[in-house]
Amino acid sequence: MIEVADLSVAYGTGRRRVLAVDRVSLSVPTGEMGALVGPSGCGKSTILYAVDGLIPPTEGTISVADEPVHGVRRDVALILQDAGLLPWKTVRQNAELALRIQGVGEDVADILNTLGLTGFENSFPAELSEGMKRRVGIARALALHPRVLLMDEPMANLDSLTREHIQKLILDLWKSLRFTALLVTHDIEEAVFLGRHVFVLSRRPARVVEAIANPEAGTAAYRGSDTFVQRVRYLHELLGGVQ
Amino acid sequence: MSVRTQGGDRRSAAEILSGAKSVATYLLAACVVLGVWWIVAHILYAVRGYSVLPTPAETFRLAITLRGDLAPAFGNSALRFLISIVVAFVLAVPFGLVVGFSRRLHQYVSPLVFLTYPIPPVALLVFLYMAFGTGEAVRVFVVTIALFFQLLVAAMGAARQIPPSFVTSVRSAGATKWGLYKHVVLPATLPSMLTAARVSVGLGITLLYIAETRIGAVGGARSGLGVFIKVHSHAPAEYELSAVVGLALMGLVFYTALELLDRWLCRWRHVGGGGGT
Repeated sequence: MIEVADLSVAYGTGRRRVLAVDRVSLSVPTGEMGALVGPSGCGKSTILYAVDGLIPPTEGTISVADEPVHGVRRDVALILQDAGLLPWKTVRQNAELALRIQGVGEDVADILNTLGLTGFENSFPAELSEGMKRRVGIARALALHPRVLLMDEPMANLDSLTREHIQKLILDLWKSLRFTALLVTHDIEEAVFLGRHVFVLSRRPARVVEAIANPEAGTAAYRGSDTFVQRVRYLHELLGGVQ
Repeated sequence: MSVRTQGGDRRSAAEILSGAKSVATYLLAACVVLGVWWIVAHILYAVRGYSVLPTPAETFRLAITLRGDLAPAFGNSALRFLISIVVAFVLAVPFGLVVGFSRRLHQYVSPLVFLTYPIPPVALLVFLYMAFGTGEAVRVFVVTIALFFQLLVAAMGAARQIPPSFVTSVRSAGATKWGLYKHVVLPATLPSMLTAARVSVGLGITLLYIAETRIGAVGGARSGLGVFIKVHSHAPAEYELSAVVGLALMGLVFYTALELLDRWLCRWRHVGGGGGT
């Protein structure tokens, strides 16, 4: 479970102090997927980085699997917007980065195979398509078998076909591995399609405007259903008011 | 598996083609330089009525005759330059990366660097003679200090321009401070460092020439191309020109070596062309 209680994050001090997140509380039950949706630059990624332990909370508490977060944890993985691949490392080296940093001698051949990257182990990111880069980013995150997967707009700047392909891939992995996930996105349809718990955020500083239960999320049949369309429309109206 | 094999073959073929193109470009450039030199030598001869600038053929003929003197001079100069560039790289790059990567250190150290950076090392030669004499160390020191500042400024700038996403992805994987340097800072800045080293070759050789000619006139240290030029300053121009060609060749050797090092260590920069989804 991901539990965020009264989280506030501020950058800078004195007159240059900027409040990015203001008393945000949210909860994602174990094995489920939550989605944070809100205007650009509202502080969505800041919340995600705080959950990952990269940014210390100014106020409030964060816990993952009933343990408070005080820094980066081995059982929590983060996927960045552009996959965060290091261009000087090959596909294999990128995928096993977290393993090597943590001193784990495990092989990544299986996960690369699952993600359709076999045959490209020795390629550099510059030799890959955008979709393949995102898959390498997913492989790196899953290499340590995390209990919690944090995703910072993992489908941003992808064409619609590749975006749907990656969405399906994430869903399949989530169903088979059953990690708890928190997705940051500015795409309303994506949030409704993937997130069983959708948290709508205000403009900066981020506050939770509404938490929407979305139990149908995560099934192929849900996209295009009346409920899906209504929820997307409702979120559009809600975010229109927020913006 | 066939994809990788095809990709590997394609890459090897592309690398061979690129290498061949590079060699052909250098040969063409050498032909252009020699051609222009030959034309200018003949024009000057026609205008002045006597030989002002020896032709390439005359110069190379003399260089072959003097190879017994020129080769050790080339070796000594090249060794001085090699020591200077290695020492400058080893000292400047780690220091520059640490300063550039830390906002606070950069704030305090950069004014000091930018104040001392513009001082030409040649201006300090007199003080260096007085302090350390006219031996080998001073010659190397002058070149090293010039290269040091070039590389230091480049390292500081390169470390400040590392995309934050690289740092975030490695920190998120649990990297320590040393892990950040190993996985991100060093590899991300290496191309800029090698480019700065390549750019500095010209400056370094100019300073080597100055240090060797100035100290060559004062002290009795080992020979070098600069010393050769100084000693033969009253001889026919072919003597000086043959050493100048030696300096140019030395620059080319170091520039090419750094270029090859870049292609080997930063192979990822020379690939591209993603496909599929």
